[in-house]
Amino acid sequence: MSVVFAVDDDGEWLGYYERLLGESYDVELFQDGVAVMERTAEVVPDVMILDVLLTGPTGFSVLNEMQSHEDLASVPVIVVSGVSVKEDLTEYGVVKVFDKGEMRPEELLGAVRACDGQRKN
Amino acid sequence: MESEVLGVDSGVITVAHELKAPLCLLRQFALSLEFERDISKVSERMVATSERALRQVNDLVKVARLADALFEMEPVNPRRVCDEVIVELDSLFRFNRRSVRVDYRNRERLVVGNRDLLYSVIYNFCLNAMNYGGEELPSEVFVRDVRGGGVRVGVRDFGPAIPAKTWREIKDGFVKKPTEIAMRPGSSGLGLYIAAKFIGHMRGRFGLVRHRDGTSFYVDLLPSRQMSLL
Repeated sequence: MSVVFAVDDDGEWLGYYERLLGESYDVELFQDGVAVMERTAEVVPDVMILDVLLTGPTGFSVLNEMQSHEDLASVPVIVVSGVSVKEDLTEYGVVKVFDKGEMRPEELLGAVRACDGQRKN
Repeated sequence: MESEVLGVDSGVITVAHELKAPLCLLRQFALSLEFERDISKVSERMVATSERALRQVNDLVKVARLADALFEMEPVNPRRVCDEVIVELDSLFRFNRRSVRVDYRNRERLVVGNRDLLYSVIYNFCLNAMNYGGEELPSEVFVRDVRGGGVRVGVRDFGPAIPAKTWREIKDGFVKKPTEIAMRPGSSGLGLYIAAKFIGHMRGRFGLVRHRDGTSFYVDLLPSRQMSLL
């Protein structure tokens, strides 16, 4: 089963990701950037869902950190945020950016599937 | 900068952002119902999320109406208020994989305050602790007597320590806008701003203690000698 890391400082959003993706993926949940980076030393996820405003290092710091590691630089990242993200983050491995107020569950599911599929091919 | 040009107060933007979060979540839950096997669990989450948002809105209305003298001082049993808050937040703590415990050591049973306002103060302290506490250690709601005859009601979390500058700002009563007391990264400070307003109205003292492994936010209130509500 593919591994999806979800990072959000709001535990309710993490619970939502777990319910939405938990049947098809091995979902691991993290409430801050430090915890997820520590975990990546043990497990490299197939896909990462990342919020921008986090407790401690922001999502952008996590993206920077990931790019500095050979094995993490190619992990596809889906940014899901309540704040508007206008920057082009493709250089940081971001394949899709969703606004929490506009995203639909099937869009997120589709994006995770697409990322996972590409990584396996 | 953009907001100043448009004449929009930064506090309004903070409030809007805070209220956007639960609305987004509710929308997601509603849209995901078709993928759900156990709709009752999603429904329970939707109720908890919407109640949290409603309380935020109600608190903001109360802040705006404090001057209307709608919240009179009365004898309040702080333990009872804390218990009621914990019951209301139980499901939210569970959904966030957090827990809370109580530590009541007060001999003075009643304080001078307002039940609704004290409820909101403790509620906002608890939400703050839930957001910043870890999974391993529960947040702690406490009621204690303090030297000089007051009663301290507060919540301790085991999250990241707050910066000394923020500690000084709160200690000095510098709580005029939510963004000015943005406590820790990712926090707007809205809940603490609301708490500070209500504490001021109750003539209480808003304080915090920096622990090596977390923070306690508290309010000191005067004891009430009116024993009829015990």
